[in-house]
Amino acid sequence: MQSKKLGWLLLSPTLFILGLFGIFPFIYVLWVSFHEWNPFAANPEKLFNWAANYRKLVFDAQFLASLGVTLAFVFFAVVSEVVIGYILAQAFMKDFPGKAFFRTIHTLPLIMAPIIVGSIWKLMTTPSIGIIPHLLKNFGIDLNIGQSAIAAFCITVIMDIWHWTPLVTLSLIAALVSLPADPFEQAQIDGANKRQIFWHITLPMIRPALIATVFIRLMDAMRTVDEVLMLTGGGPGSATRYVGVHIYKEVFPKTNYGYGSAISVIVLYLTIVICWLLYTSLIAPRNKRG
Amino acid sequence: MGNVQIKGVTKSYGGVRVMHGVDVEIEDGEFVVLVGPSGCGKSTLLRMIAGLEEISGGQISIGGRVVNDIPPKERDIAMVFQSYALYPHKTVAENMGFPLLMAKRPKAEIAEKVNRAAEILDLTKYLDRYPKQLSGGQRQRVAMGRAIVRDPQVFLFDEPLSNLDAKLRVTMRVEIKELHQRLKTTTVYVTHDQIEAMTMANKIVVMRDGRVEQIGRPLDLYDRPVNLFVAGFIGSPAMNFLQGKVATRDGRQVVLTDQGIALPLDGVQVEDGRAVTYGIRPEHITIGEGGIPVDVSVFEPTGSETLIFGRVGGVPIDALVRERIEEEPGKTMSFRLDPRKAHVFDQVTGQRL
Ligand SMILES: Nc1ncnc2c1ncn2[C@@H]1O[C@H](COP(=O)(O)OP(=O)(O)O)[C@@H](O)[C@H]1O
Ligand SMILES: [Mg+2]
Repeated sequence: MQSKKLGWLLLSPTLFILGLFGIFPFIYVLWVSFHEWNPFAANPEKLFNWAANYRKLVFDAQFLASLGVTLAFVFFAVVSEVVIGYILAQAFMKDFPGKAFFRTIHTLPLIMAPIIVGSIWKLMTTPSIGIIPHLLKNFGIDLNIGQSAIAAFCITVIMDIWHWTPLVTLSLIAALVSLPADPFEQAQIDGANKRQIFWHITLPMIRPALIATVFIRLMDAMRTVDEVLMLTGGGPGSATRYVGVHIYKEVFPKTNYGYGSAISVIVLYLTIVICWLLYTSLIAPRNKRG
Repeated sequence: MGNVQIKGVTKSYGGVRVMHGVDVEIEDGEFVVLVGPSGCGKSTLLRMIAGLEEISGGQISIGGRVVNDIPPKERDIAMVFQSYALYPHKTVAENMGFPLLMAKRPKAEIAEKVNRAAEILDLTKYLDRYPKQLSGGQRQRVAMGRAIVRDPQVFLFDEPLSNLDAKLRVTMRVEIKELHQRLKTTTVYVTHDQIEAMTMANKIVVMRDGRVEQIGRPLDLYDRPVNLFVAGFIGSPAMNFLQGKVATRDGRQVVLTDQGIALPLDGVQVEDGRAVTYGIRPEHITIGEGGIPVDVSVFEPTGSETLIFGRVGGVPIDALVRERIEEEPGKTMSFRLDPRKAHVFDQVTGQRL
């Protein structure tokens, strides 16, 4: 009895903070999403409007377009990050001169605030002064992310890769380091070549860490805002108006809080659905394996 | 043919030499045990045969082909690790079939060979299970199954039984031996346990500190160890060692200890006055009149035998006798040493005389 009470007592700060900063805001957003609320308008009152925000959402062409580019952005960014992150993780498993130095440098983007990342990439890609358009000129490519939708999209994907690949690398290094050596030696003796070892041994053995990393990156990429807002402002047109940016533009310039909340809830729902689909297709059938 | 030749093999790790020129000849179909204390280089030698460690010097050939620069998968060997190294995400059947899958054998052939191996190893019931759902002994058998489905030229075992409990170890020992008699595949088996070595081997290679001390049939090593190390390592309970000088008493050569106790010799040609170590195994001592006086401290009856711990002139000496002893500890008993079974070693070099 004593220890049970003590347990709750020790847990209470965590539960309090979780409730205050996690659960309460979420319920609040959910509640707001069922209202018409524009606190800076003539009528700042919250007006309960049933599911009107959600109904509007389904027919909001701008939102649907934004969802489309977001999914493309998330797909290209996360797939590239996982592939590059894995290759880098394998490289960092080997010994080479200057390894510690390179590993540190490679991790630096992770500790940068997204807004700074956005500013740096804006500087680097501005046609008149940026290094990237300058270098690309040598290949006859005229990069202008203010005009080319494709270029803007690609640069945001590349920026995300630059920013977040180190996270993938770090978690995959952790996974690779903890693998036992014997099955890999055994596989060599059993006649597996490098490619077969990867598909038959390495990949299944790091699968849990890999999938956790993909989930983290996926959820994060779904709600990218600040870097893209800083770099392209969602443009040109709405080429890089990812849902995070879209919500921002609905909520802040238009102060459309109720509608913005509804979008957030739907995006959260979509993220959960995507993760659930991935989970059922990738993890659940293998779960019995261990 | 599955013979293995190891010629002058050395191994260094970053300038530190851990293997100093090892020569071993392994005939086709032989069961060879590498035995020695922990850290003597048994695993390193086995891993060099497997191709998992580079060979720093010398030459290893398998089936008449020098394999120094040939990768493990082309050496036609199968290995069983101490940890079993099963693939945790594959079923028993997939684990055993993996080498055949890698060799791109047809599905039907893989299934057939896996089933046959499973039958031999009594694993048929477990083919769909995952390694974590098996006991230690079953995992061990899966690892062996994965080795035998390939029908390789050579089996390599690295302490495969040391993670099992004592009883299972004895059972598996017999099973591995039976398997070898059935398949007649050349086997190199590493262990630190000299009983495993004695019971399983056709030929034992005793190693110490990266060198081969002696190679021979188990009973040859037991009967004629070439030096003190092998004499002390092979046999359980271990051989007794007493220091003394060779002298002649009543026309017979004996070893005289500092206390003036005469240890009997028979048929050993050593000049008088030489400082030697006298070795006698506990099982070659009997209790009876006319022996040497030993202060007995502890009796260990096992039912079939009694192990007696004692001291002569302060030096420990043990005897293993068939009869049950009904004496109080702490008294002096007369140990008769069998002179025909005595061993004499040079005190300085430790070599057999
Ligand atoms: N990777 C390694 N790096 C450096 N020294 C090693 C390495 N592997 C083994 N050794 C050394 O080689 C010697 C033999 O090791 P090992 O073959 O594992 O011994 P055993 O199997 O007989 O217990 C030991 O002294 C050990 O410290
Ligand atoms: Mg070892």
